[in-house]
Amino acid sequence: MAEPLSVDDAFAPPGEPWHPVSPKLATARRLTLMLVTVPVLLVLGSTAFVAQARPVALALVAVTLVFTVWMWWLIGRRVRSFGYAERADDLLVTSGIMFRRLVVVPYGRMQLVDITAGPIDRSLGVTTVQLHTAAASTNATIPGLPPAEASGLRDRLAALGEQRSAGL
Amino acid sequence: MTEPQPIPGVGLSEPERRRHTHPLTPVVNSIRSVGILIGAVIVFGLGGIREAALAGGLAGVLAALSGVIVILGLTLGLSYLSWTRTEYFFDSSGDFRLDSGILQRSERRVTLSRLQSVDVVRPLLGRIVGLAQVRIEVAGGGDSRVVLSYLSEKDAQELRAEIIARAAGVGPGAGEAPEVVLATVPTGDLIVSLLLRSETFLLLAVSVLIVASIVLTEGAGGLFVLFLTGGLPLLGVFSQFMRYFGFTVAESPDGLRLRHGLASVQSQTVPPGRVQAIEISEPLLWRRRGWVRVSLTVAGLQSGQEEGQMGQVLLPVAPRDVAWRIINRVLPGVDPSAFQFEPAPPRARKRAWLQWGNLGVAHDDRVFVASRGFLTRYVAVIPHARTQSVGVTQGPWERALGLASVRVDTTPGPVSVVGLYRDAGQARAIAEAQLLRAASARASGPADRWMVPRVPPAAPPGAGAASPPVAPVEPIAPTPPAPDPEPPGAQPPVAP
Repeated sequence: MAEPLSVDDAFAPPGEPWHPVSPKLATARRLTLMLVTVPVLLVLGSTAFVAQARPVALALVAVTLVFTVWMWWLIGRRVRSFGYAERADDLLVTSGIMFRRLVVVPYGRMQLVDITAGPIDRSLGVTTVQLHTAAASTNATIPGLPPAEASGLRDRLAALGEQRSAGL
Repeated sequence: MTEPQPIPGVGLSEPERRRHTHPLTPVVNSIRSVGILIGAVIVFGLGGIREAALAGGLAGVLAALSGVIVILGLTLGLSYLSWTRTEYFFDSSGDFRLDSGILQRSERRVTLSRLQSVDVVRPLLGRIVGLAQVRIEVAGGGDSRVVLSYLSEKDAQELRAEIIARAAGVGPGAGEAPEVVLATVPTGDLIVSLLLRSETFLLLAVSVLIVASIVLTEGAGGLFVLFLTGGLPLLGVFSQFMRYFGFTVAESPDGLRLRHGLASVQSQTVPPGRVQAIEISEPLLWRRRGWVRVSLTVAGLQSGQEEGQMGQVLLPVAPRDVAWRIINRVLPGVDPSAFQFEPAPPRARKRAWLQWGNLGVAHDDRVFVASRGFLTRYVAVIPHARTQSVGVTQGPWERALGLASVRVDTTPGPVSVVGLYRDAGQARAIAEAQLLRAASARASGPADRWMVPRVPPAAPPGAGAASPPVAPVEPIAPTPPAPDPEPPGAQPPVAP
């Protein structure tokens, strides 16, 4: 069997560049991060007033601060790594920095398109679009889409899916 | 569908005549519910019962057990009530209806035009008293399964025949579809194969290590641990033996019928149109004997049901040629011995030195194949038309080596089709090529209709062990990827 041709970059977008997601997703995730780490810092900080525990508490506070800063930066990078592209017959979604992923879902295989948004996402104006096929392993989730873009995408996907739907 | 005509050989019941399940049903159901309770009482309460007997005689024992008796009575009463309210019948449009429920009435209707399979299942408790269940599967997946418990064996078979007859409509092929046995698994082979499986060996090895270390450090007390840890792998072997005893594969017009089980006899119909992917596994210790196991992912069948992983093993163990023949029935035109694998690039050895020899992908005009595995070699086969989506993944180690893995997604089940650690650029090319093949297969493939009255297969399948696999597939030049798609009509003809 002859070798199939190779492409230069396994995660290159097809044609035009990847459609990015909204930077507000990064804001939303950072907000969630703060909601978790600030109480932790407060608790640790208050225990620092106890003399015996001070060195341990201060060490833990330092660790938490470093972790928070690192996650802050990481969130930005991860949000920038999300991308999607609509082709004639299928939809591509890519994500990840360390563990890069690309999934291609043919329109005819789509069974469900979900749009969800938690309270923080809603307040910042981003939603998550998730495509379902008959396969549980299809991981086509695009977070951070503004509601207008998300519902436009969903309508297009639903129409195309309807047109091309194949049996199981 | 108008008034059903009488079909010779199958008495159709009058429309809308409501029937009850067997009167012993509440008893069997109660035993199933409180059996654990009774067992616990016997195991833990024997001492207390003895004391009560010594103190107050029979009255004392009854008093001690009063709680259990009350619970038993309540369960029996509720089961009986539920039984009186459970009815099944064929409604005016010919569909099967099952009404049940005491407080909350549930009406389940099976649209016979979407019928996928009907099976008679004999769970252990029912078998003891000669009862069986009728299990009806409908196309659509999820919870579209209706189980009718319990009927007498004769009633169950008759009901099954009637449902099939009605689903097939008026005409030929009604009644119990004739069966041609294709393969059976001899008991001796089953036992040996289960003992030789890699999991069994590894568990035993681990047990021996644990026991040896305990005995060396603490002395004879470690022997007790032997019973615990040595028992586990043997328990696994035993339970698999009970499940797959007497495994028989038969062909009938409505698909492949699998029958197996020692205590509870399970029977399962696999309509070919529903098979999503198959997996051939070859444990290391089976290779000398040429044995393989074949598993299936079938759409719409649930795993982890009360019968365990029903319908997901096509053959627990079989010689290769038998397995290839059976696979041909499920995926016509596919010959696993003709797969020409393209191995992973040499630098993938650094990523997976143990698996490297088993890594490869292959494809022909019908299926895509991916192999992997270290001690056990797994070959996953998916027909192009069953491709759901494709994916490419790459972890940091793979990126450093310029590798990526290709995954072809399929419905939930034991089979996963992953081409591990290919060259990164090639992985993307393979994914795109597979999408094209999938699209053209869907466009040109047959419609998914089953349970349509079918002519039995022309060539008698029971023509002995010498019959060659149907339509050996010739090695075919691969479809070139995106820029130059090969038109679907230009595929080479397959040998008859």
